[in-house]
Amino acid sequence: MRKLTFVLLIAFFAVAVLRAQEGPPQGGAQRGGAGARAQKQAQAEAAERGRKTFVATCAGCHGEDATGGRGSDLIRSALVRHDKNGDLLSPVITAGRPDRGMPGFPLGEKDLSDIDAFLHAQIDLYDMHTRVPGGYPDDIPASRLATGSAEAGKAYFYGAGGCSKCHSPTGDLAGIAKKYSAPDLQQRFLYPAGKPSTATVTLPSGKKFSGTLLLKDEFTVAIRDADGWYHSWPLRAVKVEVEDPLAWHFAQAYKYTNADMHNLFTYLETLK
Amino acid sequence: MKKLALILLAFAASLPAQELDSHKLLNPGTDSWPTFNGDYSGRRYSTLAQINQTNVGSLTLAWAFQSRSQGSFTSMPLVVNGIMYATLPDQVFAIDARTGRQIWHFQRPSQGGGNRGVAMYKDRLIFTTPDAHVICISARDGKQIWQIQIADPAFKGFASMAPLVIRDHVLVAGSGDAADLPGFLLSLDPMTGQTQWRWDSEPKPGEPGSETWPQDSDVMSRGGGMLWLTGTYDPELNLTYWGTGNPHPVENSEARPGANLYTCSIVALNPDTGKLVWYFQPSPHDTHDWDTNMTPVLFDANFKGKPRKLLAQAGKEGLFFVLDRTNGKALVSAPLGDSDWYSGWDERGQPIPRKEAEPQPDGALVHSAITLWNAPSFDPQTGLFYVNERDWINVYYLTIPGKKAQGWAGRDFTVVGKPFLKALDYQTGKIKWSKEGTGRGGGSSGILTTAGHLLFTADTSGNLVALDPATGKTLWHTYPGAAMGSAPMTYELDGRQYVVTPVEGVIYAWALPAR
Repeated sequence: MRKLTFVLLIAFFAVAVLRAQEGPPQGGAQRGGAGARAQKQAQAEAAERGRKTFVATCAGCHGEDATGGRGSDLIRSALVRHDKNGDLLSPVITAGRPDRGMPGFPLGEKDLSDIDAFLHAQIDLYDMHTRVPGGYPDDIPASRLATGSAEAGKAYFYGAGGCSKCHSPTGDLAGIAKKYSAPDLQQRFLYPAGKPSTATVTLPSGKKFSGTLLLKDEFTVAIRDADGWYHSWPLRAVKVEVEDPLAWHFAQAYKYTNADMHNLFTYLETLK
Repeated sequence: MKKLALILLAFAASLPAQELDSHKLLNPGTDSWPTFNGDYSGRRYSTLAQINQTNVGSLTLAWAFQSRSQGSFTSMPLVVNGIMYATLPDQVFAIDARTGRQIWHFQRPSQGGGNRGVAMYKDRLIFTTPDAHVICISARDGKQIWQIQIADPAFKGFASMAPLVIRDHVLVAGSGDAADLPGFLLSLDPMTGQTQWRWDSEPKPGEPGSETWPQDSDVMSRGGGMLWLTGTYDPELNLTYWGTGNPHPVENSEARPGANLYTCSIVALNPDTGKLVWYFQPSPHDTHDWDTNMTPVLFDANFKGKPRKLLAQAGKEGLFFVLDRTNGKALVSAPLGDSDWYSGWDERGQPIPRKEAEPQPDGALVHSAITLWNAPSFDPQTGLFYVNERDWINVYYLTIPGKKAQGWAGRDFTVVGKPFLKALDYQTGKIKWSKEGTGRGGGSSGILTTAGHLLFTADTSGNLVALDPATGKTLWHTYPGAAMGSAPMTYELDGRQYVVTPVEGVIYAWALPAR
């Protein structure tokens, strides 16, 4: 055991020295789209297999989520954190740590690498929970979000909220809850981003141009007309009327209460 | 022989030294910008007035520096003895501040991340890296002198802040807002990189402040509170002021009942010992990732008729505080904009967070004002504090409930936001004027004010603008091709004032037309 500890110490030291001298890994590691997806998929499958092996073999001491129990918290383990493809972890699993009461587990190479994949996935889950690519949560189940009253939500939809002035549960919103994941649906009704404004620009001559608004800052207005042509003018030289199809939603976003959000979501979630 | 040595010494002393004279840190002339904020006060106000309201309309490009790099400048360049030092992550450029031409370039393999600039100590530059190293290089040629590691990237530790030099102390900190890590500030020996002292964001068990953490768990020992933005310094009081970041686990209340000192706090430390002298907590028991790292801006001014030593800060929690910086007592506590996450003020002038606004499994809709790290400015001529702010609606989800939460235990998304540039009266916290930006995101540019009665910043459409700081009226503008993720700075060389704006990979220097 002494020897193993020594080997581990050497490994740690080597990692530390490498880190100190080499600097960070070369930027990005951008791989091709399909290849990256396939690799991600393979990693996810390995992690899922690893979860099962971990639960059967390790969870008794380290907890099903690897956050520890009788055994140590592996999310916070420097050894697991510094491990690369099992180089530090696998020897500990197979030989155990008899001095700390951990027996060895003579697992095969595949099980070891699956457990490795699972633990690194758990670390990412705990570390980067909100920071997953894609931005916001899309795996929160509807049951967790639908805590309001569908009836109150419906009353809001037809009453105070004013939603029914533009939308209908049997028209544009028919089956809306099937179309989007629960958090996506919640975000979309709170503010359905993505619809551009249109603008009508009147020149001093009285000539008018209309189209999709591309820019309106303090100095310039720019549109794309129906034929696809771009136009811009200095703002001070023209008159601009902007029509924002989301203006109502934008104003409403500042008016919703927590209860409105939960009730309306619970109601919309019934539109399957 | 002795005589010769003396003569040589005298000769050496009379040579125009390119290194930073330590007095310049206390009294930077108008020809230099020797620290992150230009001076120790963090006011980002320059006494230069060559460019002023009467001639700013004719402002023109003096030079542009192309980094030829994919990186984006989010750093503050320094200017010392006619040389500009600017950074991208893992890169330092020395540039002729008169011409924009490169003198040397330091680079190490980059892993991305951000960097906010170098600090200068005599003939050395010191900066931090995405893989949590502090590196010291020669200002003469960019050759490396020493490096140390201050955090572990395996725990997602990194470093981005520009260090602060106070006498023979280099104050620097690592970051990390993923795994649960304790926050800290280090004082390093500029000659060797060895640690002189370390201040921890969390107290040790039994120390004052430890009562604001649960007593039945060790969550305090890795409770976050990173110091990731450069602090300020008052040489008379010999106090250095820093803001600390959010507590860990993030967005989870149950794992850490209590105020969680000294996270989300403004702290006053003795720079020689690292001892805490006072603290003030703008976001007690933070559950929304609202760092209080924003610059503690120092100025001396009359407050209700009496001269006071003041500290003003606008934080990510969307509040504005003016403190007596001798003791940390709040003189003004005011909102930057509409917020519904707090119910009022406690006896110290700190906000009282509302339990209902904490992240919930089914989401909590929260209305708050917010400002990010981009530099604010205090203009002593107008007596106004300027800040780019956004008024936004967020939903906060608690995704790992319970006491066993780790790291990020919640998620949030922004529903909508309205950007504003606001000018606040430091004596009341009232908004003197406010200018709404375009778009539904927010401003990410810092601010500079000058004695020329000008305020330089970028608007939310990416235009660089010069405004009248008394009213917000636009006096000059140009579009530099992208949004400025940094802040403007200014200096004067050979009788010509330059205003510098780093924008993505290009540094632009603006000046009046050369005669």
